[in-house]
Amino acid sequence: MARMKFICDAERCIECNGCVTACKNVNDVPWGVNRRRVVTINDGQPGEKSISVACMHCSDAPCMAVCPVDCFYRTSEGVVLHDKDLCIGCGYCFYACPFGAPQFPQAGAFGLRGKMDKCTFCAGGPEKDNSAEEYRKYGANRLSQGKLPACAEMCSTKALLGGDGDVIADIYRQRVLTRGKGSEVWGWGTAYGKPGQQQPAAQPKS
Amino acid sequence: MKIAKWVGGLAVAAVAVLGLPGCGEEQQVVVYKQGRYQGKPDTRPWDSPQWGGEQAKWERAIETRTLNQNEYSRTQ
Amino acid sequence: MLLTRKSSAGVVPQSRLARSLSGALARTMDRRAFLKRSGVVAGAGAFASQLPFNLIGKAEAQQKQTAESKVEVKRTVCTHCSVGCAVDAVVENGVWVRQEPVFDSPLNLGSHCAKGASVREHGMTEHSHRLKYPMKLVNGKYQRLTWDQALDEISKKMLKIREESGPDALFIVGSSKHSNEQSELLCKWVRLWGSNNTDHQARICHSTTVAGVANTWGYGAMTNSYNDEQNSKCILFFGSNAAEAHPVSMLHTLHAKELGAKVIVVDPRFTRTAAKADMYFRSRSGSDVAFLWGMLYHIFKNGWEDKEYINARVYGMDKVKEEVMKWTPDVVKDVTGLSEQEVRTVAEAMAKNRPSTIVWAMGQTQHTNGNAIVRASCILQLALGNVGVAGGGTNIYRGHDNVQGATDVGPNPDSLPGYYGLAEGSFKHWCRVWNVDFEWLKGRFAPGMMGKPGTTVSRWIDGVLEKNDLIDQDSNIRAMFFWGHAPNSQTRGLEMKMAMDKLDLLVVVDPYPSATAAMAAMPKAADAKYDPNPNRDVYLLPAATQFETEGSATASNRSVQWREKVIEPLFESRSDHAIMYAFAQKLGFADQFLGKKDGKQLLRLIKTAKGYEEPSIEDVLAKEINAGSWTIGYTGQSPERLQAHMRNMHVFDVKTLRARGGKDAKTGYDLTGDYFGLPWPCYGNAALKHPGSPNLYDTSKHVMDGGGNFRANFGVERDGVSLLAADGSASKGADLPFGYPEFDHVLLKKLGWWEELTEDERKEAEGKNWKTDLSGGIQRVVLKNHGCHPFGNAKARAVVWNFPDAVPLHREPLYSPRPDLVAKFPTHDDVKVLWRLPTLFKSVQDKNVADKVAEKFPLILTSGRLVEYEGGGDETRSNPWLAELQQDNYVEINPKAAADRGIRNNEYVWVKTPTGARLKVKAKVTEGVGPDTVFVPFHFAGWWQGVDMLPYYPEGAAPIVRGEAVNTATTYGYDRVTLMQETKTTLCQVERA
Repeated sequence: MARMKFICDAERCIECNGCVTACKNVNDVPWGVNRRRVVTINDGQPGEKSISVACMHCSDAPCMAVCPVDCFYRTSEGVVLHDKDLCIGCGYCFYACPFGAPQFPQAGAFGLRGKMDKCTFCAGGPEKDNSAEEYRKYGANRLSQGKLPACAEMCSTKALLGGDGDVIADIYRQRVLTRGKGSEVWGWGTAYGKPGQQQPAAQPKS
Repeated sequence: MKIAKWVGGLAVAAVAVLGLPGCGEEQQVVVYKQGRYQGKPDTRPWDSPQWGGEQAKWERAIETRTLNQNEYSRTQ
Repeated sequence: MLLTRKSSAGVVPQSRLARSLSGALARTMDRRAFLKRSGVVAGAGAFASQLPFNLIGKAEAQQKQTAESKVEVKRTVCTHCSVGCAVDAVVENGVWVRQEPVFDSPLNLGSHCAKGASVREHGMTEHSHRLKYPMKLVNGKYQRLTWDQALDEISKKMLKIREESGPDALFIVGSSKHSNEQSELLCKWVRLWGSNNTDHQARICHSTTVAGVANTWGYGAMTNSYNDEQNSKCILFFGSNAAEAHPVSMLHTLHAKELGAKVIVVDPRFTRTAAKADMYFRSRSGSDVAFLWGMLYHIFKNGWEDKEYINARVYGMDKVKEEVMKWTPDVVKDVTGLSEQEVRTVAEAMAKNRPSTIVWAMGQTQHTNGNAIVRASCILQLALGNVGVAGGGTNIYRGHDNVQGATDVGPNPDSLPGYYGLAEGSFKHWCRVWNVDFEWLKGRFAPGMMGKPGTTVSRWIDGVLEKNDLIDQDSNIRAMFFWGHAPNSQTRGLEMKMAMDKLDLLVVVDPYPSATAAMAAMPKAADAKYDPNPNRDVYLLPAATQFETEGSATASNRSVQWREKVIEPLFESRSDHAIMYAFAQKLGFADQFLGKKDGKQLLRLIKTAKGYEEPSIEDVLAKEINAGSWTIGYTGQSPERLQAHMRNMHVFDVKTLRARGGKDAKTGYDLTGDYFGLPWPCYGNAALKHPGSPNLYDTSKHVMDGGGNFRANFGVERDGVSLLAADGSASKGADLPFGYPEFDHVLLKKLGWWEELTEDERKEAEGKNWKTDLSGGIQRVVLKNHGCHPFGNAKARAVVWNFPDAVPLHREPLYSPRPDLVAKFPTHDDVKVLWRLPTLFKSVQDKNVADKVAEKFPLILTSGRLVEYEGGGDETRSNPWLAELQQDNYVEINPKAAADRGIRNNEYVWVKTPTGARLKVKAKVTEGVGPDTVFVPFHFAGWWQGVDMLPYYPEGAAPIVRGEAVNTATTYGYDRVTLMQETKTTLCQVERA
């Protein structure tokens, strides 16, 4: 079964914002709502790294867990979607999400939140596939057309990979092996130690 | 008899008093239980004329398409 | 606490399971009850988030497409930079609804940067900031008028000015964003008007490259390609921030890096490209030659140069070596700021990891000695034997999407299409191609002006403002056309405003009003001491974008791509060639424009859907460009071949750009052996089927396989030394395995090859050479029958004796922070006339030293690109998706420099320059720049010294994001050979606002 995933190769991301703009383009996302953003650390210094961040479509999604009206669901491909008609704009999902994926169009002096909007993995939402209603509420449904999210397909350096987890893992692995580095930014060294180093001992449960 | 009634009454009162904080007889510690999606139904990506409802066909298309993100397949 | 669900239609879940188990969640509920009830369904909840089959409704039939809805996919190319990323535009009933990546493209493989991913916005009509209809400036406001009115008024005024002051009183700034065909038409159009006063963005972009590199070895273009970097073992970015200016090129660069190539960046700023480099070294802006000679010093000292290569293919390296050996590490450190260790490291990396390549863009070109800097880069690569080698070469990253094409065949002041120059022979050649009477054309020019190069876009303001007796033409410039060019990318904004106010006629032809409209409408500054011209007329004419017409564009690697028309021109815009034709009719040269003479008409006239007429673009390519551009091999790229390439991109190999096979389904054209886009030179006519040249000067290949050698353009001998290639040095399989001059009928006859031409070819080629033989016979015989190169086989010149500095020298910028170095490495002497204008060098530099400018303005001001915007920026800043990403103009300032001035991050500051102008921008405190340098992006316009220019734009057509234009405040300084502006190095001071 295909399990959809994103991974952004920090060795390749050049902060070009192609992914951000591709998403805006295919989903007609309004000003102020940023389904996808590029985050840069150590800007202007050696060690500068960028990655593109959007909804990670978590297996155990915190947004889904905390939503008081249960408007979230996960498809069989692992895409986390939600029903805007149910959403009450409470913002709990925004608190819960470690990636800041939920976006709220703001209005008024008190920043009244509208319906939550977020990356849909270009899979639309709970309306008829590729209908005008689905496009209006959720944006494009590329997945049902056999296509992948526009952000990943248009990434300038193919840093952002999006698609079937097995396939993109292979792509990423080939790169890491070819260049001999790059995965440590994801904490590989922290979790598994560096080559030659002794494995950190497992901590006993308290 | 009267004392028993009084004790009984006290007991009832005590139960009533002691029982008050937990109105509805609920536990005060909330145990989280996963909710269920309450929204509109959605269709699966392969449920369209393009794929004829065949999941495998759609998955193959997706996997092939994902390979477009790997320039190694075109440079070797 | 009650949670009320906002009511909306049909929200309650339909499945029986849900209803029965949860007891139908009420419309309002108490939180505790909610939790309690969800607890009840705990058992069933195990699969609530996994396989919610209760969500699966019946899949309904897809909405059938109505009979009238027509969906087409048009293949085009992004218009924002020279990488040339292909785009598939999905058009429904004439509306551009979607864009899809073109994975098949061997150049970009589907990738885009922010700009490429945003091009669909050009087809959106709602909230569009386009210039929608012709407008005229009346009492400080832009008013609408009709096309007929506008064309009528403008041409009447043009003719009046011509009568009073001659044809040179007009200056046409053309565009690097025109297609090849439009550029070539504009070049012709200006000559039919009777002047050489035309130019385009290449002047301020790579003019120094073209002059310096072409004079070194033959052609002044990128020698290899972005794709070819995958073959490099070491890539030096010196003067390029490719991660922001050419983002998709980084796909190839980073792929090369993954394969083991070393990536080195030497730059005054720690750019995003530097973030991806293996090594980064900080150099002082303007010290480029010193660094390159510093590298060569180590190369020569350690014997790392390729002696065999130099002996066989380079002239004059010994003279260069004399100069180079003066650049000892201590001198280099003083001038560039780089230590011996740093310079040596770079030199060693380039020398020991060959093939290695050098990449540059504006960092090297935009200096008063830009022509010398680029030549020094060429010499470096010649010394290392890297030129004409896959993975090597000089990878010159051009800017706009068709600046290469516009340079090759477009409106240049010093040449007709194809770099033929302005000699009488060149005009005669093109008159033959254009089917125009030469004597008639000669009569159009003012006496003695036909062979004289016009002035440049970088100096047009001096053409207006300079004293009349000091300029080399009869009248000052009185009328300007900004035809697809922004004003805020040229220096000296304060003086430009003055010049705009002095004009009699200013016409903007552009899809957007551009900053020109706002600058022209803005009232003169209160303290300005000049009188604006009360008789000035300003017009804005809406041009169509490249998505609203078809045409070809040449990417930086010289590949030519064909764009299909995506949509009809929006609003009242018209294609540039329609506008050219309309003017030609009013100005009296419509027939010549179409090549109508002696009963023959060269270009067909096409009636557009909206009713106006335009010349056929395919005819321009086939019958003008292909028919006449023999010098650079723009003859083989016929419309048919180019279109077949675009339909079959998948057959081209990504590393070599060569088609391994393939037949075009539509036309049956056999693609085998072609290089993608037939990168010029693609010699001979289409029938010869030359495959194009992916890497220039590559002797390892046969000339009919894309191979080549250096050009014999500078004579056969100099000072007793032969300039032709040494014995044994020639392209693979050449019948003449030694140096030879360029081919003409005389040489062919001498060699006994003349008989191989057909009778028709001989008739045409008699008395001609490989550049003027319209039959293509000379090229055919030389290339195909004998494997030789039509332009000869010579050595590259390390010494260019016709340049002011025969050996490249370091010279300090006019606004240098180091008066002591100015004394040691002064700039050029003033020139009385350069491109028709007096040009100052030494007097400016000396005055700066005398006035202690470096003390009052101690920070080096440099400018450059952002990935979200392009060029002058009004177009991209009108796109909400891009504008949202960069909303304020800013200055990058080092923490120390900021702290010294009490400047906090993100607060407003004034950037002041010696011109007296000041810019209000936000401060971005970053270690990306050194303590002595600040950086301001140049894409902004719409603020003038702190004041928003919104009121001066036409209503509804101002860009969403406006900001200070850095060039409002930049200073005087021009390249000694090409009048390139010195935008990369000037001085400023920064203060809190």
